[in-house]
Amino acid sequence: MTSEAKTHAIDISSMQRDDRQLNLADEEITLQVKDLRLSYGDKEALHGINMDIPKNRVTAFIGPSGCGKSTLLRCFNRMNDLVDSCNITGQILLDDNNIYDRTVNVADLRRRVGMVFQKPNPFPKSIYENVAYGLRIQGINKKRVIDETVEWALRSAALWDEVKDRLHESALGMSGGQQQRLVIARTVAVKPEVLLLDEPASALDPISTLKIEELIHELKDDFTIVIVTHNMQQAARVSDYTAFMYMGDLIEFGATDALFTNPEKKQTEDYITGRYG
Amino acid sequence: MRYSVSEWTKSGSPWVWLNAGAVAICVIMVVGLLGLIAMRGLAHFWPADVMQATYTHDGQSRRILGEMVQQEMVPAEQLRGAGIDVPAGVEALRRDLLKVGNRDFGSADFVWAMDQGISDKTHPEMIMAAERLEWGNFYGYLREVRQDGEAVARHEGHAKSAEYMAVWDEFQRRIDRVLDIREQILDIEKHKIGSINYELERLRLKERSLELKQSTDADAYAEIEARRAELNTDYEVLQQDLIDLYTQINRDSFTAEIADGREVEIHIAKVVRAFLPNNMGTGDKLMHYAAKLWEFLSDEPREANTEGGIFPAIFGTVMMVILMSVLVTPFGVIAAVYLREYAKQGFITRLIRIAVNNLAGVPSIVYGVFGLGFFVYFLGGSIDDLFFPEAKPAPTFGTGGLMWASITLALLTVPVVIVATEEGLARIPRSVREGSLALGATKFETLMKVVLPMASPAMMTGVILAIARAAGEVAPLMLVGVVKLAPSLPLDGNYPFLHLDQKFMHLGFHIYDVGFQSPNVEAARPLVYATAFLLVVVIALLNFSAIAIRNHLREKYKALEM
Repeated sequence: MTSEAKTHAIDISSMQRDDRQLNLADEEITLQVKDLRLSYGDKEALHGINMDIPKNRVTAFIGPSGCGKSTLLRCFNRMNDLVDSCNITGQILLDDNNIYDRTVNVADLRRRVGMVFQKPNPFPKSIYENVAYGLRIQGINKKRVIDETVEWALRSAALWDEVKDRLHESALGMSGGQQQRLVIARTVAVKPEVLLLDEPASALDPISTLKIEELIHELKDDFTIVIVTHNMQQAARVSDYTAFMYMGDLIEFGATDALFTNPEKKQTEDYITGRYG
Repeated sequence: MRYSVSEWTKSGSPWVWLNAGAVAICVIMVVGLLGLIAMRGLAHFWPADVMQATYTHDGQSRRILGEMVQQEMVPAEQLRGAGIDVPAGVEALRRDLLKVGNRDFGSADFVWAMDQGISDKTHPEMIMAAERLEWGNFYGYLREVRQDGEAVARHEGHAKSAEYMAVWDEFQRRIDRVLDIREQILDIEKHKIGSINYELERLRLKERSLELKQSTDADAYAEIEARRAELNTDYEVLQQDLIDLYTQINRDSFTAEIADGREVEIHIAKVVRAFLPNNMGTGDKLMHYAAKLWEFLSDEPREANTEGGIFPAIFGTVMMVILMSVLVTPFGVIAAVYLREYAKQGFITRLIRIAVNNLAGVPSIVYGVFGLGFFVYFLGGSIDDLFFPEAKPAPTFGTGGLMWASITLALLTVPVVIVATEEGLARIPRSVREGSLALGATKFETLMKVVLPMASPAMMTGVILAIARAAGEVAPLMLVGVVKLAPSLPLDGNYPFLHLDQKFMHLGFHIYDVGFQSPNVEAARPLVYATAFLLVVVIALLNFSAIAIRNHLREKYKALEM
C-alpha cells in the first residue's frame, strides 16, 4: 500500500496536465453511442447508453465491478460478437457509420479500433513478429515497410530502447510491464483510429503502471483513447473525460476535472468519495 | 512414540505406500520383461562353445558335437512312461537340449539328451561351426578344401596344429571369395534384373491398356516392342553374367568330419560364415557378435525366417508407422478443429465426441475386417477398375498393401489424435485468441497463425499415442497387407520409388510367424525374443523422436502461464 501511495505522488508531479478547461461541446466526435442496449440471454447488461467519445482525447470509464464498463468498451470493436448469447440493439457510429451495420467487415473494424486487454497477451512469437503480426494479417510483406513500422510502433510504446537488441527473442521472456507495452505497440502498429484499453495496468506493478500511464499521455496526440479502469486516481491522472457507470447505466459523463471536483449526481459523488463501490 | 492405526490411516502414509508400491510393481514388471526379452534375444548372437562328448543311451555309445542350449529337470515318472529306465528313488533327472546342427546329415538339428548319459565332455579348439544358406548350422572338423573336385589342402587330426590352421586359412580365403561373388549375383538378380522385370511388366501393362482402348496406333505398339527387345537383350547379357558367376561360385567345396565319423562334402557357395568357436578370444567373440547383430538388423531373412536378418520387417514397420502418422495427423487435427472451434456446441457435438471415444475402444481386428471389406475390396477394387484395368485380373490396389494398412491404422488411431488435439485447443487461453482478433485477424487467420501453432505440442502428444498404439498392432494388419515374406521393399529405385500397393513385412507379424508358424521351433525361439526386443526398441525410437519434436514445440510455444 505504501509503495503504491508513493508512486502516485511521483505520478502527479511527473505528468504535465492540461490546464485549459475542457468542454465536450467543443470537441470533434469519433464515436457516437446511440441507445445501445446489450443483453446476455435474458439479462440486460446495458440499458440504453448514449454518449459521444471525443477525438484525440482520453476517455475513462469508471464504476464498480459489474457495472458494464468493460462490456461497453468491447462493443466498440464488436468483441462481444464472440459471445454466443449476446444480443445488441442500438447504434455505435464510427465517423458517422454504424459499426453494427450488416455490411461492415468486422476484421476491418477491429483494425480501425484496436484493443489492449487486462492481462498482457503477447503471442508466443518473437518480439518483432508480435508487432509485425497485424501487418502480416493485412498482407504487408515488404521487409523494409515492416521493419520501419515495427521500430516506429516500439518507439511509440516507449519500448524500443529496451528491446532493440533482442527483437528476435521470444516475447514471453519479457516482464509483465514490457509485455503490456509490447501489446500496445502491436496494436499501434496497425495504426488504428481508436485505442481501447481494458484496465491495461491492473495486472502490473506500480512502476510499470506509471510507464503505461505516461504512454497513454503520449499516445493521445495520435489516437482517440478509451480506457476502462477500476482505479479512480488513475482515471483522474490520465483522462480528459470520464464516464461514471453504474448497474448498466451511464450516470454521468463529462470533463474529468469537473466530474471529480464537482460531480452533478449524488451517485457519482458517493462513488468517488468511496461511500460504495 | 505410539501411533494408533486410525492416526496412521489419517496421516495418509498407507496410501503413499500403496501408490509407491503400485509404481514399484509396474517398474519391476516393465524392467523384468524388457530384461528377459533382451537377454534371451541378444544372447542368441553370442558364439556359444561347441562341446564334444560321448553319449550313451540304451547301451549304445556315440560321439556328439553340439552347443548346449538348455537344461531342465524331468520328473522320473514321465521318463519311465517314455520307456527310459530310471532307478528307483530318483525323483527327477536332468535333460539337456543340444544343438547338433547338420540337419542334412542327421535327423534333427536339436536333440534332447539325458545328462547322465553324457560323458567325456571336451571343448576341442578345432571344432568348426559354419552358418549356411540352407540346412542350418554345420558342426565338424575341417578336413579338406577342394577346387573343381581336386584337393588343394588337407589335414587329418583333431588337435590344433599349424597344418590345420593352414587348411583353415585357405578355407576362409575361399569363403571371402564366395561372399564377394554372391554379392555380385545379388546385385544382378535383385537390382539389375529386378528393374528389367519391373520395366517389362510396365510395358506389358502399357500394351494391354492400348489393347483395351482398342488403339490402332501401330507406332505405339512398335515402340513397346522395340523397347522390349532392347530389355530382353540386356537381360540375355545379364543372364550370361549370372551363369558365369554361378559357375565360379560353385567351384570350391570343402569336406569335414562330422560327429559320426563320416567325411562329408559341402559346397563353399552355401556357407555364410565359418568360425572356430572354442578357439575364439573375447575380442574375436565380440567382433563375431557385432557382425551377427548387424546381419540381424540389415539382412533379409533366410530359411523360413529362422535365419538371417529382419531388415525388411523393420523397414516395413517404420514405413507404415510414418505413413500412418502422415495420414492421421491432418485428419485428426482437422476434425478436432471443426469440433472445438466451428461446430455449434450441443447435443450433436456431444454425440460425436462419445462416438469418437467409443471408436478408440473397438477391437482392432474389427478395423482389420473393415479395412479389408471397405478399403481393399471396395475402394481398391474400384481404383483397379478405374485406373488399372490393364493389370486385371491381377489386383493392383484391390489387395492388401502398404497404403491400405496405413489407412486402416490411421482410422484406428484417429480418435486419440482428435481427443488430444481438442484438449490442446481448449487449453489455449481466450486472451490470446482475442488479442489476434482485436488486431483485425479473422477467425481462420487466428487459428492458423496463433492457435494451431500453440496447440501443436498437444497434437504431437496425440501422434505419440497413435504411434505407440499403431506400431504394436498386428491383428488388423494380417488382413490388409502384411505378409510373411515380401519379395521387395516398398521403397526402391524403380519409378515411382514408393510402392504403396505393395505388401510388406512387419515386426509384430514377424514375431507371430517365426514363433508360431515356423517349422523349426527351437531354432526360431531366440529370434522371437530378439525380434520382440527390436520391436520395442523401434517403437521406443519412434516415440522418442516424436517426444523430441513435441518438447521442441513446447519450448517454442510455451503457454502463457501468468
